Amino acid sequence: MSLDYVKFSPGFEKFMPKEYRDMVEHGPFGKKVTVSQMGSFKEILEEHPMCAGCAMTLFIRLAIISFPNPEDTITVGTAGCGRLAISQAAIPFVYGNYGDQNGVASGLSRGLRLRFGDKPKDVVVMVGDGGMADIGFSGTLHSWFRKEKFTTIMLDNEVYGNTGGQESGMTNQGAVLKMAPLGKKFEKMDMLGMAKIAGCAYVATVVPNNPRRVESVIKKAVLIAREVGPTYIQAYTSCNIEYAIPTDKVMEDAKNVENDRYQFSEYVTEDAKQYLAERYGYKEFLPKPAAAISKA
Amino acid sequence: MYLVADINVEICAATSCKLCTQFCPEANTILYNNDAGKEKGLKYGSAYVAVDRCKGCAQCVWVCDNMAKHHAIKMVMIDQLPQAAITDNVTYGEKDTTALLVSQMVG
Ligand SMILES: Cc1ncc(C[n+]2csc(CCOP(=O)(O)OP(=O)(O)O)c2C)c(N)n1
Ligand code: SF4
Ligand code: SF4
Ligand code: SF4
Repeated sequence: MSLDYVKFSPGFEKFMPKEYRDMVEHGPFGKKVTVSQMGSFKEILEEHPMCAGCAMTLFIRLAIISFPNPEDTITVGTAGCGRLAISQAAIPFVYGNYGDQNGVASGLSRGLRLRFGDKPKDVVVMVGDGGMADIGFSGTLHSWFRKEKFTTIMLDNEVYGNTGGQESGMTNQGAVLKMAPLGKKFEKMDMLGMAKIAGCAYVATVVPNNPRRVESVIKKAVLIAREVGPTYIQAYTSCNIEYAIPTDKVMEDAKNVENDRYQFSEYVTEDAKQYLAERYGYKEFLPKPAAAISKA
Repeated sequence: MYLVADINVEICAATSCKLCTQFCPEANTILYNNDAGKEKGLKYGSAYVAVDRCKGCAQCVWVCDNMAKHHAIKMVMIDQLPQAAITDNVTYGEKDTTALLVSQMVG
């Protein structure tokens, strides 16, 4: 895991596929790329079998572009739609049994710290709402209570998309799905509240209709997880198949859901603010100058 | 046959707001050529689609129509495009890309 693993082995360059050559020569490794440069550099994410127009796909694309050091990042996933794309990116991807992602990531992130010491290696979990809030629930919560330092991202499409439309704990109350024909009986789980209670240092909600915001929350979450504590991002990533959203209306739906139950929210502990300000120059988290406070 | 997105260079190059690619779910699909349209006196270069990667969702059409309000993208049957970009013919540069346009019709 370093810039070395994306270099050509001597003598093999001319045998590599074009996509690989483009990625080595014009990819984001070792550079700082931003979402506003999209369309002008070769992305790490390659072709994959996720559905046309899927917002989860878009979110994964944006998330991977936003990783602060892609050459030093490992993603962890589980069963569900997202892994179909995350596994097609040129960064190591670890895949275990359904729901065990935060256990796997705990071991991985501890091991990387032992092996590489202070050199940051970022571990990012990206899994569906079913895999996290239902099947992997206890593992997720325990990793937060143990203050395991890695980033957990929920790809919340409010359904089990990969298996044809069962309800999950994150499905909205009343929603009728193919395999939940009577409608969801209980409320959407408050994973954000639980993340805060369990001690996450950073908790944010985001919707992919705002690419720069996705970039901003991913960067903060990954940086904070290096030293301060666990971080959690909950992203609304609609399933246009199970919710029958026409693909050209996916962003319209994202806007409606953002207004309804996915308003942007960001919770940053004082330690995390201080860390971002001092270590990474985040001006928004610098302490207010004394003069401004005394005038108020 | 199937639909792919097609970007009108003249409309896009009048502003080239670079919004659509930020919303295309597919990676490396809507790309930019900063020189496209310059021969016609248009300033900003244009977006174009590597049609072999486009899944035809039309999200970019919605974004260009409703967010950018430029109406530069239309969905077109692939065999109706006289020429288009494909991944094999894209060259990445320092700040943008160029593509040799080829006919999609084989045989
Ligand atoms: C132990 C186990 N049980 C069940 C499955 C079948 N399975 C695969 S994906 C999936 C649902 C995924 O739903 P979610 O986690 O919400 O992700 P989505 O597909 O919606 O992104 C299930 C039940 C499995 N792979 N392993
Ligand atoms: S089933 Fe739904 S979540 Fe899965 S890839 Fe298709 S649209 Fe996306
Ligand atoms: S949104 Fe429309 S005008 Fe803007 S870059 Fe894309 S095609 Fe061009
Ligand atoms: S139609 Fe969909 S896949 Fe094709 S370029 Fe537009 S947004 Fe991308």
